[in-house]
Amino acid sequence: MNPEQLKILGSSFLGDLLKSVNLFYPETALVVTFLLAILVDLFTRNRPSCKMSGYVSLIGFFVTAIFLCNSPQGMSFAGTYAVDAFSIFFKWIVLITSFVIIVFSFFSKELFGEERQMGEYYTLIVGMTFGMFLLSGATNLILIYLAIETMSMSSYILAGYTKEIKRASEASLKYVIYGATSSGIMIYGISLLFGLTGSLNLSGINAYLAGNNVNHITLLISGIMIIAGIGYKISAVPFHFWTPDVYEGAPVTITAYLSVASKAAGFAILIRLLNSAFTIHAAGDTINTAWSVMKNVDWTMIIAVLSVLSMTLGNFVAVWQTNVKRLLAYSSIAHAGYILMGVAVMNYTGVSAIMIYLAIYMFMNLGAFFVVMIIANHIDSEDLEDYQGIGYRSPWLGVAMTIFMVSLTGLPPTAGFIGKLYVFTAVLNSGMYWLAVIGVLNSVVSLYYYVKVFRNMFLRGAEKANQPIELSLTVKVILIALIIPNIALGIWFGGLVNWANASAAMILK
Amino acid sequence: MNLVDIVFYFFAVIIVASAAVVVLSKNIMYSAFSLLFTFFGVAGIYVLLNADFIAVTQLMIYIGGILVLIIFGVMLTTKITGLEMKTGITGKAQYAIGGLSTLVLGGTLIYVFNSTSWFKSPSVPTTSTVEAIGASLLTNYLLPFEAASVLLLLAMIGAALIARRK
Repeated sequence: MNPEQLKILGSSFLGDLLKSVNLFYPETALVVTFLLAILVDLFTRNRPSCKMSGYVSLIGFFVTAIFLCNSPQGMSFAGTYAVDAFSIFFKWIVLITSFVIIVFSFFSKELFGEERQMGEYYTLIVGMTFGMFLLSGATNLILIYLAIETMSMSSYILAGYTKEIKRASEASLKYVIYGATSSGIMIYGISLLFGLTGSLNLSGINAYLAGNNVNHITLLISGIMIIAGIGYKISAVPFHFWTPDVYEGAPVTITAYLSVASKAAGFAILIRLLNSAFTIHAAGDTINTAWSVMKNVDWTMIIAVLSVLSMTLGNFVAVWQTNVKRLLAYSSIAHAGYILMGVAVMNYTGVSAIMIYLAIYMFMNLGAFFVVMIIANHIDSEDLEDYQGIGYRSPWLGVAMTIFMVSLTGLPPTAGFIGKLYVFTAVLNSGMYWLAVIGVLNSVVSLYYYVKVFRNMFLRGAEKANQPIELSLTVKVILIALIIPNIALGIWFGGLVNWANASAAMILK
Repeated sequence: MNLVDIVFYFFAVIIVASAAVVVLSKNIMYSAFSLLFTFFGVAGIYVLLNADFIAVTQLMIYIGGILVLIIFGVMLTTKITGLEMKTGITGKAQYAIGGLSTLVLGGTLIYVFNSTSWFKSPSVPTTSTVEAIGASLLTNYLLPFEAASVLLLLAMIGAALIARRK
């Protein structure tokens, strides 16, 4: 390349760069927060259990939220990063979850019990949020890979943050080993896809696939390999092996974080990959057009099989669990299965149903894990047996847990019902009746183990009522703040549905 | 068979053979040292593909950095050189299942590689790839490049955290 060529390249790039920076404010705010959290931690080093970098992160998230509200839309950084309504919706889910998780952490006895240095904890959460932001908008295979790695790297360390507890370091190690394998498989798939199409941008891959003959089997294998990497993140069967152990061993806050935020980001990239790379886009397409799949590779069937496996295995194994965190781990596998039903539909109705489901799932799952954490703070146990009589010892926790469990089952009038309703409607509209039937049957199974949790709280151990658990006012306020969306979104869901419908569209080029 | 093919197969044999030693050797020191030849062979293949920058990076990072670290790690761990690695229960069933899945996977991949019409970029004579890589990193791939820096910082913080006593 001679200097003249470089000059042309540079000047054509500068315009794009200036435009991109405007689109990149929320992520920039996150990186600045990330660095500030490290700096603040250096100055508060001598005071263990100092919450200073936690507050800095919360303020940083707040600033990010302001930028996110006013974010313009468009393609940025030479087609590697899309800022569109779709990614902004997922960024909101990630941001709210991260905010709530940091607030949760302030109440965790497990984390603050041992005079632990907590600075890195917040830093890593902010870094992970950055990774998930990138993942929601990435349209370039290298960026997708790096975003997944950023997210995983932080979650490996966070899962083992209480490293003197044996099961936490074991969880972390298992997570790293499975994670390394799955990311190896994924990057192999990426290399096959690149070798096939000669492009790393999803739009470039799409254009090449549309215009050229490619080998079906190679396309299928590379796609499956990439989906395996993403499936690991959303803990879909058969890539779920790490889930129960990691969820059980990690600190409760991190378990909640993994089960909501990294799952949401994983679904964002799965949907974007299927839509932007593997679907034919015509000029006159509207939001209601069904996606027509490239080269007749049956992605619908592959995703549907993953979905059925995840639901069934998740729900049936959850029935036997005696540890509440493990139970919620299998429940989260099952929920990944329900959400995958929406992906299998492969149209925008399915996408908006997934968004509704994830937004609601965020509130119910965070609520359930918060109750688990508060109970563990008081009774030092996560065993289902020890939950006996909690309903009498603390009616607050009992009632809250009951609401979250009913919501996770998907019964009216809670929000969980609305989430399931939209996903099942999308599946039925697309004509996959068998999938809907399996989904409904699975929901019935799930009722059994969700009920088991609050049955233990209220129908057993009434004699323990004389050992009341006192909750502080802030804990009660947080509980109410988590209960309200679980009930309110079950009754007034119009706003959320409209927002999700308006956000289902993706920028392609 | 022309000269390029011969050189390719030479490196390929080195890679496969030494990788097999890495996996199969019971002595962890032998594994670490034969990893050297695997990395070296891969670097050779890069040179063959005209990817000079990546070849040098491979030598500097994998052989100069990672491998040395591994060997140091092995040597600083007590009693490791003579240690028999525990391989758990490897009965006939495990060998059969492992071998079968390897054969199926290998067969599929070989079939795929031979039957696919891969994307071929127009061949341009290149003198040095460093400049082109540098220009790409700061233009088309700017965001991945910057994202990698955050990733590395996170990894560093994590490593320090794990190494810290409390």
